[in-house]
Amino acid sequence: MSRFLSVLLHGFWKDLPPFRLVLGLCPALAVTASANNGLGMGMSVTFVLIFSNLVISLLRNVIPNKVRIASYIVIIATLVVIVEMILQAYFFGLSQQLGIYIPLIVVNCIILGRAEAFASRNTPFLSAVDGLSIGLGFTMSLTVVGSIREMLGAGTWFGMSLASAEFEPFAFMIKAPGAFICLGLLLGLMNAFSHWRGENVIQK
Amino acid sequence: MREIAKLVLVLGLICGISAGSLATVRTRLADRIEQQNDLFVRGPALELLLQQPANDILGHKLTIDTPEGSMVVFYSQESGTVCGLAIETIGKGGYGGDIAVMLGVNMESNKLLGLEIIKHQETPGIGSQIEKSAFRNQWLGLPAHGPIQLTNEGGTIDGISGATYSTKAVIQGSQKALSAYMNSKDQISDLIQQSDAADQTQLDS
Repeated sequence: MSRFLSVLLHGFWKDLPPFRLVLGLCPALAVTASANNGLGMGMSVTFVLIFSNLVISLLRNVIPNKVRIASYIVIIATLVVIVEMILQAYFFGLSQQLGIYIPLIVVNCIILGRAEAFASRNTPFLSAVDGLSIGLGFTMSLTVVGSIREMLGAGTWFGMSLASAEFEPFAFMIKAPGAFICLGLLLGLMNAFSHWRGENVIQK
Repeated sequence: MREIAKLVLVLGLICGISAGSLATVRTRLADRIEQQNDLFVRGPALELLLQQPANDILGHKLTIDTPEGSMVVFYSQESGTVCGLAIETIGKGGYGGDIAVMLGVNMESNKLLGLEIIKHQETPGIGSQIEKSAFRNQWLGLPAHGPIQLTNEGGTIDGISGATYSTKAVIQGSQKALSAYMNSKDQISDLIQQSDAADQTQLDS
């Protein structure tokens, strides 16, 4: 039971992607110009992660070691294309905005990383829980980064206008360099917080 | 030997099952995706090209057979006569794959009504400039007998620097639409009459 809880919760702080794992930085930087995009990207990754972990864990004794990476990629790519079609069918606007970054989930290191590090060694149930935990952590981070960038860069949050008319949006934040600075500052704050608490998880 | 056979078998099975599930999802969702495309991509493009509400034009959909395969054509009517056509084609050879374009033609004056990009996967910021109106407006008012060419080939279109592949794919697609229009004008008129007659009988009954 304690194992279940630790697997369920590790994605929210201990292994929080992309800050703690420092994987999956490309989508975290590229699509977080608005909170909505961050949330959509996070949900897509969560879906892929849960099912890829589940399927890979079910097949972990069947897949020969030598072709495991190839098999993982085929499974992940299939799930990503399914997500892409679902987005096109039901969330067309979002799929237009995320564009090329949806197919690129295939090469998102988080997914392959979890398959290799967790799903290939654990039971299907625990692997799915791990996917859920890491996926929700990723969604949370992307939504936070997206919110900060959208609020500062456009004066809105999820498209709702927040600021008064005098507020001059800090347009730099919704451009690419703003993503690096926002992510870097958040990572720095998190590390400072961990350091202050005496946790031993600071990235060297 | 047995080991290799097992590797091939397992990988083959995984690929087969993946392909099967993808095909299932695709057939299930194809209609819905097409609807969404009509609503969010074709609709606005048609409104801009033919200056009529999208709902009116989306119903006016034809498929014509040309030597280069079948093409989708939309038409707009004003007081019973056809005035505008929008022909959708695929331009081959874009940097990120094929580019779907839609070309508007005025059937009376034989002039182009404009160009819209329906779908592309070009590099953001470089090839994606084909979406900009400054580029697309170069099609406005060109004669329908063509040819559409780049300025350095004797035509009137200024390409986008750094995006030669994208530019050429768009030109190729629109040229294809034009030749389809010139070659199958009669076929299009016939089809429009037929579908009008069908609409009429539906209304009568």
